[in-house]
Amino acid sequence: MPLHAGEPTPQADAAPAPKGKAKPAGKKQKETKLGMRATKDGDFSEWYSQVVIESEMISHYDVSGCYILRPWAYAIWDEIKNWFDAEIKKLGVQNAYFPLFITEEALTTEKDHVEGFAAEVAWVTKSGSSDLDRPLAIRPTSETVMYPFYRDWIRSHRDLPLRLNQWTNVVRWEFKHPTPFIRSREFLWQEGHTAFATRGEADAEVHTILDLYAAIYQDLLAVPVVRGVKSSKEKFAGALYTTTVEAFIPHTGRGIQGGTSHCLGQNFSKMFNIEFETEDGTRAHAWQNSWGFTTRSIGVMIMTHGDDRGVVIPPRVCAVQVVLIPIPSTKLGEEARAAMAARAAEIEAALKTAGLRVRVDDRDNYTPGWKYNYWELRGVPLRLELGPKDMEAGVAMLARRDTGAKESVAWADVAARVPQLLDTIQSDMLAKAKATLDTCIEQVTTWEGFMAALERKHAVLAPWCDEESVEEDVKRRSAGKDGENKDAREATMGAKTLCIPLEQPELPEGTMCFASGKPAKNWALWGRSY
Amino acid sequence: MVIRPYGYALWERLQSWLDAALKEHGVQNAYFPQLIPMSFFEREAEHVEGFAPELAIVTRGGGKELEEPLALRPTSETIINSMFAKWVQSHRDLPMRLNQWANVHRWEMRTRPFVRTLEFLWQEGHTAHATPEEARAEAMAMLEVYREFAVTQAAMPVIAGRKSRIEQFAGANATFTIEAMMRDGRALQAGTTHDLGDNFSRAFGTQFSDAGGRLRHAHQASFGMSTRMVGGVVMSHGDDTGLRLPPRMAPLQVVLVPVAARGAAAAAVLAAVDAALVALRATGVRAQADVGTEKSPGWKFSHWEMKGVPLRIEIGPRDVASGTCAIARRDRPGKEGKEFGVPLAPELLVQEVLKRLDEVQAELLERATRFRDEHILDVSSHSQFLEVIEQGKWARGWWAGSDEQEVALKEESGATLRCFPLEQPGGGGTCFLTGKPADQVALFAKAY
Repeated sequence: MPLHAGEPTPQADAAPAPKGKAKPAGKKQKETKLGMRATKDGDFSEWYSQVVIESEMISHYDVSGCYILRPWAYAIWDEIKNWFDAEIKKLGVQNAYFPLFITEEALTTEKDHVEGFAAEVAWVTKSGSSDLDRPLAIRPTSETVMYPFYRDWIRSHRDLPLRLNQWTNVVRWEFKHPTPFIRSREFLWQEGHTAFATRGEADAEVHTILDLYAAIYQDLLAVPVVRGVKSSKEKFAGALYTTTVEAFIPHTGRGIQGGTSHCLGQNFSKMFNIEFETEDGTRAHAWQNSWGFTTRSIGVMIMTHGDDRGVVIPPRVCAVQVVLIPIPSTKLGEEARAAMAARAAEIEAALKTAGLRVRVDDRDNYTPGWKYNYWELRGVPLRLELGPKDMEAGVAMLARRDTGAKESVAWADVAARVPQLLDTIQSDMLAKAKATLDTCIEQVTTWEGFMAALERKHAVLAPWCDEESVEEDVKRRSAGKDGENKDAREATMGAKTLCIPLEQPELPEGTMCFASGKPAKNWALWGRSY
Repeated sequence: MVIRPYGYALWERLQSWLDAALKEHGVQNAYFPQLIPMSFFEREAEHVEGFAPELAIVTRGGGKELEEPLALRPTSETIINSMFAKWVQSHRDLPMRLNQWANVHRWEMRTRPFVRTLEFLWQEGHTAHATPEEARAEAMAMLEVYREFAVTQAAMPVIAGRKSRIEQFAGANATFTIEAMMRDGRALQAGTTHDLGDNFSRAFGTQFSDAGGRLRHAHQASFGMSTRMVGGVVMSHGDDTGLRLPPRMAPLQVVLVPVAARGAAAAAVLAAVDAALVALRATGVRAQADVGTEKSPGWKFSHWEMKGVPLRIEIGPRDVASGTCAIARRDRPGKEGKEFGVPLAPELLVQEVLKRLDEVQAELLERATRFRDEHILDVSSHSQFLEVIEQGKWARGWWAGSDEQEVALKEESGATLRCFPLEQPGGGGTCFLTGKPADQVALFAKAY
């Protein structure tokens, strides 16, 4: 019997059998080591490659850098999407859809922007067998698609604010090492594009959205992030300033940009002639923002919480929050089996009524041990076991995926205890990740301290003079020699500013930049990065 | 085509209803890459023939020529099938039901907003089953889901049926459709499902071991509904004033417009409008108040009528004094559609609004059904057929003509065989063209 909707389908055989040979009917799958072979501490990049495949989140594809998002992963994107979409609608943002194609002319309208993205654009040059007169670019981001329309739609201050968003796919033809979710040539995202009459309104929205992005990471994905402003070197090509939520991956000692909210100022409105008549009859250029959040976030979640047994998914976003596993031992008579199945169904119904996403795994061709392994690999937050002894005692055994802790709960209390426990798991996962992050950020004031912290695979909070040339210099000086293998190269790549955190430590007067010796302007968070 | 928020909101209503229906049916959402190696297309012969001329092809990326050109998906059978081949191993893996919400590109010769565009949004479901009967049943079940959406949400009285051989999907054993009639009498194919048999599983090697251990090919179905449906909703119900949206689809169901709200009376009127708005929204009604002072009430009436908002509530100082208001229905023009003396008290007003929304929904469906039935005529001869098509109506007749004869009719009249309706009169008849015995009735029409 097939599984219910929302469940990934298992491999029929634990060890792949040659085609043509199936296990004889009735023989149970013993507990075998499904899936994971590498360990997170032993070989992180191999671990990650395996875990995304074994948990059935990703499938590889014939085009390098493109991946298939399987239902188990897509369900997480759906949860993120539903939450964020509702939040921005409350703010008055509306969804729309703009074409995928960009003409060469439109793409080159904003000079800095095209410099930033031109190298990564994929071009459609043919339709069927005929060549196109002019090739069409596939959107790497939609500023240049949308803003010609904004020019037409914005004439007067009454047309402002204009706040649109779209949920789409984009293509960036990069040659850097692709990594599922983290860096791919095609990915899914939302991109919000808004226009205001005043700078103040734009600034306010930039931060409102940034807070929502932080909330997605912290409240939904249980991943701690640092909110900050990008340095001028790192900001979005064409923006006035960029704000970001930065996460950190302790195992690689690298920071990772989690989502960005940009104030474009009037850069694009000047290029695209987005002008409006103000209330006092003068003409002004609109103030614009753009903000984007991608499927990369799922990769960050996996890297943060996964362990050697598989992925670990926070309850808020997991497609299945509780998996119920009845354990009818072979000694049980038919009546007892029926009673167990009935009890499982009752518990399932009660949990569903409580609004939870529940599955009963009653497949009769797998042992309990195999099933535990199966669902642990997929990161389901809570397992509920119902064995013969549990039936006698009128209890169910709850097992947490994140800590492995088990507790016995009376049937009458299950419907109340499970939601409580899921909430605890959600907050415990965030707390644990936050504690780890705190140990990974070192506050230093000297170059030596900086390099030592980087050596320890940490991010560094250091005072600096906020000059682009100094940042470039830091990147050069902090890079080691080129390693032979990819991992060595990554371990010695130069450090850059991840962000200038919004929450700044005190900067005593006379503090010098750790790198240039000039007077420091702020504390920046530095690190190697994805 | 740019889909602006109002149009996109219609699409979002379709998405949310359909997504829930698919999930209930056991379908899971996933996402497959947009870029497909050309070699994938070549695996299913009919499929490549059907789609090759329409493909948008990428040959350059990141400043370099690509090793192999990549096409933008016109539909994702080829990729999804290549994955089915890997994921389907045992009968326990079946049925496998996947869906994706995505954009597709087909380089069409003649485009029309929403209805036929170079790029459009859709959902495409792809399923794999152990037996041919299940694949067929799946195609029929999804057709019924589409039909239910069209009738109950979009107030479109579609006709479900099977496509003729020349009209079916390139690579399918059978294609099923829901055909809608637009206000100009033309047909619009609003949703399609396919029984793919084992055509793709043979081409891609999708095999499973059955309970007895034998290797068999999977049997598949696929189904899709697109932004073309939004065009259908617009063209089914619109009138000369503009859109008329069925309440269940309308992004905005009720607009409140204050009238003569000037001077001393203004505050009271606006307060009444606000109270009504809050009460309506609390019950889930999609309502908005247009209280701006720039435009006159008359302007606002026209504006929201053009946008097809089903109900308009007018509140003026006299209404506040008498505790009543006026409700104007978009589906009934002029005086006939406006009712005075509707209770203004929020709890009562809400009931009146809910009742009327249901009535508007039912009436739009009823009108569209009457219109449809009046515009389908039975034909029993070639000349009658031509006449009916010439009149801009649909012709229904017993059909036993060949593929060539079907093509000839199209060239002659511009009408295509839309479908063999699932609901057949039974018995048998004489083909209106060839005079031969026919066991099925077919519907012909000019179409979008």
